[in-house]
Amino acid sequence: MLLPVFFVVSLVVFFIIHLVPGDPIDNLMRAGSTPEQRLLIEAKYGLDRSLVEQYVTWMGRLLTGDLGNSIIQGRPVSALIARNLPYSLELGIAALLFSTLTGIAAGVIAASYQGTRVDDTITGFILLGSTVPSFWLGLLLILVFAVWLGWVPVSGARGWSSLILPTIAAGLGGIALVARVTRIAMIETSRQDFVTLLHAKGLPPFIIQLRHVLRHAMVPVVTILSLRIGWVLGGAVTIEYVFARPGLGSLLIRALNQRDYPLVQGCLLMLAMAVIIGALIGDIVQAAMDPRQREARA
Amino acid sequence: MIKHRALALLKAVSTFKGGISGAFLLLLVIGALFAPWLSPYPYDQQDLGIMNQAPSLTHLFGTDEFGRDVLSRMITGARTSLSVSVTAIGISVLLGLVLGATCGYFGGTFDRVVMTVIDLTWSFPEILIALMLVAIIGPGLEGVVIAIAIAYLAQFTRLTRTQIMSLKSETYVEATISLGAGHAHVLFSHLLPNALAPVLVAAMLATGDAIILEATLGFFGLGAQPPTPSWGAMMSSGTAQLFIAPWVILLPGLAVALTVVFINLFGDAVIAALDVRAKFREA
Amino acid sequence: MNRRGFLASVSVVTLAAGLGLAGGYSARASEPEAVFALGSAEIGAPHHDPIRATLLSTVATLIYDRLIEQDVDQTYHPHLAESWENSPDGMNWTFKLRQGVRFHDGEPFDAATIAWWIPKFKGSPNEYLVDAVDRVEVVDDYTVRFVMKRAEPNLIYNLASSFMGIPSPKAYDAAGDNFGVTEAVGTGPFKFESFAVGQETVLVANEDYNWGSDLSENKASPHIKRLTLREIPDASTAFLELKTGGVGLLLGVPDQFLPQLQAEEMLDFRSLPGFGITYLAFNTRAEPFGDAAVRQATALAVDQGAILKSVFNGVGLEAHQFLISTLVESKIDPKLEIHHDLAKANELLDKAGWQRGDDGMRVKDGKPLKIKLTAQSETAIKRTAEIVQAQLKAIGMVVEIDIFDSTTVVDQLKKGQHQLAVRQYGWNNADILDWFFSTTNIPYPNSSGWQDEKSQELRNVAMQQSKTQDERVANFRKYQENLIGNFLFVPIHEPVQNYAFNKTMLEVPEKLRGTQLVQATAVDIKVVG
Repeated sequence: MLLPVFFVVSLVVFFIIHLVPGDPIDNLMRAGSTPEQRLLIEAKYGLDRSLVEQYVTWMGRLLTGDLGNSIIQGRPVSALIARNLPYSLELGIAALLFSTLTGIAAGVIAASYQGTRVDDTITGFILLGSTVPSFWLGLLLILVFAVWLGWVPVSGARGWSSLILPTIAAGLGGIALVARVTRIAMIETSRQDFVTLLHAKGLPPFIIQLRHVLRHAMVPVVTILSLRIGWVLGGAVTIEYVFARPGLGSLLIRALNQRDYPLVQGCLLMLAMAVIIGALIGDIVQAAMDPRQREARA
Repeated sequence: MIKHRALALLKAVSTFKGGISGAFLLLLVIGALFAPWLSPYPYDQQDLGIMNQAPSLTHLFGTDEFGRDVLSRMITGARTSLSVSVTAIGISVLLGLVLGATCGYFGGTFDRVVMTVIDLTWSFPEILIALMLVAIIGPGLEGVVIAIAIAYLAQFTRLTRTQIMSLKSETYVEATISLGAGHAHVLFSHLLPNALAPVLVAAMLATGDAIILEATLGFFGLGAQPPTPSWGAMMSSGTAQLFIAPWVILLPGLAVALTVVFINLFGDAVIAALDVRAKFREA
Repeated sequence: MNRRGFLASVSVVTLAAGLGLAGGYSARASEPEAVFALGSAEIGAPHHDPIRATLLSTVATLIYDRLIEQDVDQTYHPHLAESWENSPDGMNWTFKLRQGVRFHDGEPFDAATIAWWIPKFKGSPNEYLVDAVDRVEVVDDYTVRFVMKRAEPNLIYNLASSFMGIPSPKAYDAAGDNFGVTEAVGTGPFKFESFAVGQETVLVANEDYNWGSDLSENKASPHIKRLTLREIPDASTAFLELKTGGVGLLLGVPDQFLPQLQAEEMLDFRSLPGFGITYLAFNTRAEPFGDAAVRQATALAVDQGAILKSVFNGVGLEAHQFLISTLVESKIDPKLEIHHDLAKANELLDKAGWQRGDDGMRVKDGKPLKIKLTAQSETAIKRTAEIVQAQLKAIGMVVEIDIFDSTTVVDQLKKGQHQLAVRQYGWNNADILDWFFSTTNIPYPNSSGWQDEKSQELRNVAMQQSKTQDERVANFRKYQENLIGNFLFVPIHEPVQNYAFNKTMLEVPEKLRGTQLVQATAVDIKVVG
């Protein structure tokens, strides 16, 4: 199954950028350069050959693990991705942790106080947080916490203090989703017979909530998280832009704007593979966590 | 069935949350529909003598960098933002229903192939898909509509497919099939009508997300072509006057946030009113 | 590769990268340090190798020295070349080189360096800069002679370009493609320490430096001992960094931000005359702009004053011809300059047969006067487009704006799919006229599609038959007067370059030297306190 998927993905990834009008050479030419130089550069990157030929060459290189060279930056695509990946992972994981932990906590509390004002307040606040565009939220956060209060730096990617605001801006939207799923799953699970039984046994309610109900409720949450790997790696474009952080999203968008074909293709392919692998890991973790599936195997 | 749904809607509106949010959304839609008549000024009327003026009685929401009335631009902007997201989600839902129903009903290789592709796009950040597609399709609202429609297609396909699959295994459907009913009959008379409610609710919530996505694309300068305003485009040009005319960026942002909050609240109210199972248990 | 293998390699890469990241931060205290933010046009420079670069940032001017420096008044000043001489026929240039100059790696700078350096441009994107040089002859250790293929009075301008920073031959040949990325060795006032693409470059002072040019007050080692140059794409973020002291100086502030800047107590700014022109480009091959009368009417309908005031907040100059005002070639016959004249614009259209309809918009032979205006999403350009749209409405022209990203705009121009476009160029030499209007450059960069024998003849004279600087100036004036008389463009605005800084952190000279805030001024900037 993985092989045909990989093939289809590679086709889409290779050809999609060629659907965008314009070409990378225009971004290399400056006042005074000649048409001959243009042809030379075209030939250097094989852009003078047919698309099918280019695809075959690209694919052949790919199988040996070579993503080619960026046309605009003149560096290996893999090196550029490797340079940006840590920043994306740093922010992505921080944002994911932030939104998951806050989301689960909020979901659990809201479920425990289901139908009361506490539930409404929590749900309301989280909702509000998820409805503002992240670039707007980012600017607002900078204004309040960096400019007025001066607690953290405005932008950049140096040290943990510069990670706080981007994490909040990128993670706030995810809280609502996680909290919503957790809350519903908690409520559904707490209605199941085994929970009633545990209550009848006289276990303290918070232990039941945290040890038994939450574990069951986590299954759908994990499913959602495993599908968010794409966001972790490439979804923070706007945040990266506002906070002047490097990252895969920005790398891809800049490459797209410059029509840097090999770089766009490399980034897209890497994201797609990460997404596929993320879904696989999600399946495995989910199977390991679900008590029903575990018991079935035992 | 129809009556039951109308009843649910009524029920939703009669709750506190549902009532407030429903009223807000209704006002918004009316505002968008009748924008040219409700705007105090033409949205593209420049007056370089009154650039970046703070909110006042003559210009309730102030003026922007060309001395245009921000309130008028926001009303017309509501029209752009709403019509783009509603159209996009509408297209997305239609395609998603067809794809999801076919996959869920027939299963097999077709299902596997389609779902693999769909899952891939689902896991890709919408913003990347949208930026890519807009680059291909070109500037203007059409590009943004198509981009948003495709970005959300996976969600509706998945949801419809799950619905159809679970309904298909219900006894009465199995009975209908065994009685020799045609595929089309089963799909359209029995499965789709029952699968529709959750998809429509999801569509409503997605419309909220689509408004945010439209705003984000507007922030990158894509979508509405000047002088046509959209909330995103207004925020984008407002960043340059953050300190001297903060209302240009703050008000459209608030409008987006409020609209999406109310869409969500209304969606919740509808879900609560529709949720037959929950009502059974509570009874 | 199997799944496990892939996972393993991904995690190894991540781990390694993470470790490298953690090792990067070592703060050095007590030395005068500063952080500059690069201007938006300089962002994304992939390396600091001047020879093969298509985009170089200010960083390159700090690491490398040039033979000749150009000042803002377009005068030339000696730097690594102490003096130079052009033979009367223009076929020989002789340069006397400064003695006692060393590269950061300890290698000496002398005539051999130049003999190695000029041929290196062969096959590079910057080859055209030294295209006219046939060969370099070493006269003695500190004298070189350029033997020319053709007379080229513009060589001196080319040598002052930032692409003409001289790298260390030894380091250059040793590093190969990594030159400018992992190391960069020049003779400049700052030494390269580290570079993270798209993020920041860290430089340290070259303590041996004592060969500053006469553009700088300080001829020795720079006052700033450690200089970080950051890349911040969003202009509002960069502004906020300046306001909070995260950045001491912004190399390039969009005009829209100036009112906000002036409102801040601790901020100040300096300006230098501009480096280009914002203008409207016609496509003469697409109707209605094949008709010179329509082009002229459009040109006269544009109100440069209003645009200067609203889009550029009154900063910069109105442009009424195509070249930047510090160039002597820009002083053309004032009668030919393009100035706002609404009445004449309307009269021209009336005469050309474009009648006003009921809604005030013009129609001719049943066809409405409706055009597409191509622009890109950058704020100043987009705003210019919006205001031009409103101004052209006054002569009964319906304008629809199409905003594209910059690469798509170029593609549109190349394919001739545009009618009218808002464009901006950055170039401080009159040969920009050849670039945009020579027949040889159709379809791009001459996207106007202008083909005219008389124009091309004047172009050939200006480009190839000027023996001296004075001749060249006269020839280019004539060339532009021909072009402007054909209404091939509408000059709009000549931006200035704005540099903002935090007064509580840095002391910047009142008068900036050089065509941009680069090496010459950077060595004079002091850290406060």
